[in-house]
Amino acid sequence: MLNYIAQRAALAIAVAFTVSLAAFVLLNIATDPAYAIAGEDADPEVVEQIRQRFGLDRPVWVRYLDWLGGALRGDFGVSYYWNKPVATLVAERVGTTLTLAFSALFVTIAIAIPLGALAALNRNTWIDRFALWVAVSAQAVPNFWLGLILIILFAVMLPIFPVSGDATWRHFVLPAFVLGASSVPPVMRLMRTGLIEVMGSDYIRTARAKGFRGTALLTRHALRNALLPVVSVLAVQLGHKVGGSVITESVFAINGLGRLALQSILGADIPTVQILIFIFALVFVAMNLLADILNAALDPRLRIG
Amino acid sequence: MTARLHRVLGPFVLAAGLAFGPGIAAAGPEDDTLRAAMAGEILNLDYLYTTRREYIIIANMTDARLFSMNPETQQVEPSVATSYEFVDDMTIEVKLRDDVRFHDGSLLTAADVAYTYNWVIDENSESHARTLISRWLDRAEVIDDHTVHFHLAAVNPLIIRDMSQRVALRKDGTYHQGDEPDFDAMAIDLIGAGPYRVVSFNPGVEAVLERFDDYFGDAPEIGNVVVRTIPDIGTQQAEIMAGGIDWMFNVPLDVAQNLGMRPDIDHLAGPDLRVSFIVLDAGGIVQEDGPLTDVRVRRAMNHAINRDEIAEFLMGGGASEGLHTACHPVQFGCVQDVMRYDYDPQRGRELLAEAGYPDGFDLDLWAYRERPVSEAVMSDLEAIGININLRYVQLETLNQARAAQEIPAYIGTWGSSGVPDTALIARVHFSDTSDRHLSGDAEVVEWVLGAEQTADQDARYEFYRQAITRIAEQAYWVPLVTYTANYLVSSNLNFPLDNDGVPRLENASWR
Repeated sequence: MLNYIAQRAALAIAVAFTVSLAAFVLLNIATDPAYAIAGEDADPEVVEQIRQRFGLDRPVWVRYLDWLGGALRGDFGVSYYWNKPVATLVAERVGTTLTLAFSALFVTIAIAIPLGALAALNRNTWIDRFALWVAVSAQAVPNFWLGLILIILFAVMLPIFPVSGDATWRHFVLPAFVLGASSVPPVMRLMRTGLIEVMGSDYIRTARAKGFRGTALLTRHALRNALLPVVSVLAVQLGHKVGGSVITESVFAINGLGRLALQSILGADIPTVQILIFIFALVFVAMNLLADILNAALDPRLRIG
Repeated sequence: MTARLHRVLGPFVLAAGLAFGPGIAAAGPEDDTLRAAMAGEILNLDYLYTTRREYIIIANMTDARLFSMNPETQQVEPSVATSYEFVDDMTIEVKLRDDVRFHDGSLLTAADVAYTYNWVIDENSESHARTLISRWLDRAEVIDDHTVHFHLAAVNPLIIRDMSQRVALRKDGTYHQGDEPDFDAMAIDLIGAGPYRVVSFNPGVEAVLERFDDYFGDAPEIGNVVVRTIPDIGTQQAEIMAGGIDWMFNVPLDVAQNLGMRPDIDHLAGPDLRVSFIVLDAGGIVQEDGPLTDVRVRRAMNHAINRDEIAEFLMGGGASEGLHTACHPVQFGCVQDVMRYDYDPQRGRELLAEAGYPDGFDLDLWAYRERPVSEAVMSDLEAIGININLRYVQLETLNQARAAQEIPAYIGTWGSSGVPDTALIARVHFSDTSDRHLSGDAEVVEWVLGAEQTADQDARYEFYRQAITRIAEQAYWVPLVTYTANYLVSSNLNFPLDNDGVPRLENASWR
């Protein structure tokens, strides 16, 4: 197992560096950071001054090697746009994004697991159809649209929650719902499928024969196995929440990593984009690894296998 | 992305907003706090190290300069300085008030002024104002506590204007507290001398300002100003509908017009010094002997554009107009009795035929702003037979391609930093050192340069008259339209609009 984890960790770092190289090259092709920093009507001499200040007059490959050398020493450079070490920028915002990500995951679990279980236990009834409708709707609705509709409903018309910002827990309710809703369909459907499969299996028949019924049968025997595939999907979804909060954080003006990513891309802030892509890639690989480990922990057959 | 979101969601937000009426007021006169939203992040409060419009708005509240610009008359007026006088051709003596205090309570003296200017032009300062100020300043010298001599490196007509707009005054030694200069000394904890002082600042999130009671000038009427960064225009709309903000700017016309119909929100449309235009490769710099080197082709393109309809229907707001000069009509030196090209597509087709292009020609037209305007221009040009390949790109991409001399024609815009003087647009677009200059006309370059080398306003006016007239006659540009600045403000806010298009929150008051 340790060997497996080490292999996956090495793969994660390789993936992260490969993605960072691609991002570096593409950003340098697409934008000129000096112009982005200086602004639309900046004097060309000011632009040149900025270019020299940040060493942007050097060839792209020299800058990448420079960045890579620093990254290997744990120094990810200084943001052109924010004029701060990028590690500090990330540290300042990671808590906000994690709060949002875990809140969103909570929303997903709170909606998708009961809904999936209800759908499975009431197969082909109106409840099942309703659950399917929820899943299809949540999948079809874009995040930004849902976000603004919720703002209009619950911040403008019924001023229960703030429109934007991240100062209090109330600021996180609407964005957590928006971000969490997008994960409801896959989790709910997996839960439904898994539970239907489990409920038809031999050991459940045996449990029924031993007198287990209702909640006891569901919680003590069926759910544990039905949750196996769900757990791994939830882990991957958490990665999506961390890396995929760009739109939600921008719509709700939440000062987290997602918004930082958007600001950095628009501002051609290459060092910040680099570290964010590096982190997002690592998070995705790490979450997949976590999913495998959790599955192994929950299912002894996998450990033996 | 924000613009895309807005386009998709704008109608939903507007429909709901209009249908359900006013939200609950949170901002406003109750706590004497004006809450303003800006899409661009405020990252640094030191205007000596920033450039964008958002920073100008903040700096007008937090900083004091030697002189001030009267937005109505566009004349320079005393501020920290009481007067100025040319001691000789290359020396200006500036007298200072004796009651100006910085936000930390200390009195401003000549040493602070001299330090600020000498630091700005120091080659190690990396100040964004350095390029501008070092064009004319050699050094500033303290004569006594309230007198400074500015020793000039060159005569420049915009010296006093630069003193009134570009250089925010700092305390002596501000950037030299340690062994190394600290460029970020004022980035967060700003000590200015303006009408508002900074209470707190979270970069990219929020700046909280309060009225500075020891301000030497007229005190602003509103006690507190909070400037929030809200990147998404849809979210800004929701905030103003919910009463979370009182003021937003750079509002798309359709949004401004629709939300302005609500009883609790006003749509204000004011003039803006920004103009748009097409720069043509008249000098054959990109394509030697290309079609754009023929004046008849360039005139044909000028006749092809329906400026008035673009101004009315795509820019809108009432303050936008068709443009006929390579400068904004209110700018000094921007003469208007130049050759005009009325909208006449038939004349355009005839001119193309005369130039040997009866079937038109292919042209790459680059653009980065206002896509609807770009598409209208494309359509107008195609109507006279020019086959346009519209290259709609990010500004940075356009800048790179232009620097590599790959652009035969592009739709540009210029805001002149809100300065009503033709120098601000001419020097960048008609200078030999600028990649924006594609006319290849040495005389125009000479006239523009000449206007920058004399302080004699009559002589400057004559230089610009010659340059602007020639540019129009030779159709080096296709001038398009002037811009409108659209704002949405709470109906309980009185927000005066100025001719230069610079929003001055410090002049706002409650109704």
